[in-house]
Amino acid sequence: MGNIFILNGSPRASKSNSKQYAEIFSKNYLQETIYKAISKTNQVQLCRELSHYSDVLFVFPLYADALPVGLLHFLKTLETNLPEHKPTVSILINCGFLEPEQNEVAVKIIHLFCRRNGFPIGSTLMLGSGEAILKSPFKYIAIRNIRKLAKCIASGNHQTIQATMPLPKFLFRLAANKYWTKYGQKFGITKKQMQTMETEG
Amino acid sequence: MSDRPLDLAIRQAPELHYIDLSELKISNCTGCFGCWTRTPGKCVIRDDAPRVYPYIAKSEEVVYITKVIYGGYDTIMKTMLERAIPIQQAFIRIHRGETHHIQRNVAPKKATIIAYGSTDPEEQDLFRQLVARNACNMNFASHEVIFTTEEMIDNTVNNILKQWETSSF
Repeated sequence: MGNIFILNGSPRASKSNSKQYAEIFSKNYLQETIYKAISKTNQVQLCRELSHYSDVLFVFPLYADALPVGLLHFLKTLETNLPEHKPTVSILINCGFLEPEQNEVAVKIIHLFCRRNGFPIGSTLMLGSGEAILKSPFKYIAIRNIRKLAKCIASGNHQTIQATMPLPKFLFRLAANKYWTKYGQKFGITKKQMQTMETEG
Repeated sequence: MSDRPLDLAIRQAPELHYIDLSELKISNCTGCFGCWTRTPGKCVIRDDAPRVYPYIAKSEEVVYITKVIYGGYDTIMKTMLERAIPIQQAFIRIHRGETHHIQRNVAPKKATIIAYGSTDPEEQDLFRQLVARNACNMNFASHEVIFTTEEMIDNTVNNILKQWETSSF
């Protein structure tokens, strides 16, 4: 087990759920963790820094069924700025849908990148209901599985883990709709307004 | 909608709209959820993307031309697809046995994805899986992925346009 570099690939960075997931991971990983958010301006520097770590953990949300485009830009930068020492790549991905398996294609994209560029593949945690789980009574499920991810990475006994809220789909739909209605209320927007079928143009 | 300029045999037709993303200014989605919770249906970033996603919403047939990287869309196309989120609601529905966002007025569409830059069968298979996922989230009633080379893109697109023209008139 060595030090781990945690890279946040969320476009929301400082306000992101991914940042909170990274913090939970750090609390549960026994060695030193260094956290940075990927931005447009720090990518080459991050590629250089990767050499200093035995492991890297990409933490990010699912965007349009795949990686957020900022993270994709980073992988392209990394491909042309490969570090001398390549750390083992682990993944903590979350999607807002109930089914964690909706993250599978994004995980495969990173694994393909790793195989092409000689990065060892580590562990993966695919979280469903990731937008709201930390604000729900099921927060413990996220924490428990992030702890499990930390143990897998630390031991080198790599695994792929899936976790989500233990709800039937119809109940998740109701809970999610309540969550988003409250979200809109913060900005003075009613549920009916949020349900508009119109887009501009 | 293409990530590079095309030499199209038909450019003018009442029901045809060609978008070259490479000449537009489209910045990354910031994940602010503004298009769901502050100005529903409308992106708060006022660059060129709000001129594009209405066409995505109302089209009954779309042809996307994209370079493939690591088994996914390359950055130009991916940036636009992320910025098309205003055409969905935050609210969830159960669709094909999974939870997905409710679509606003998005026409069910026949989607053809012309993908170039990949000859690796594993990568092509992954890209097909991605497009199948998109089908659930982007209201594709049917979809087809065609792999081609960069040199053959114009021919491939023009063949599709000819078929479309024949079936439309």
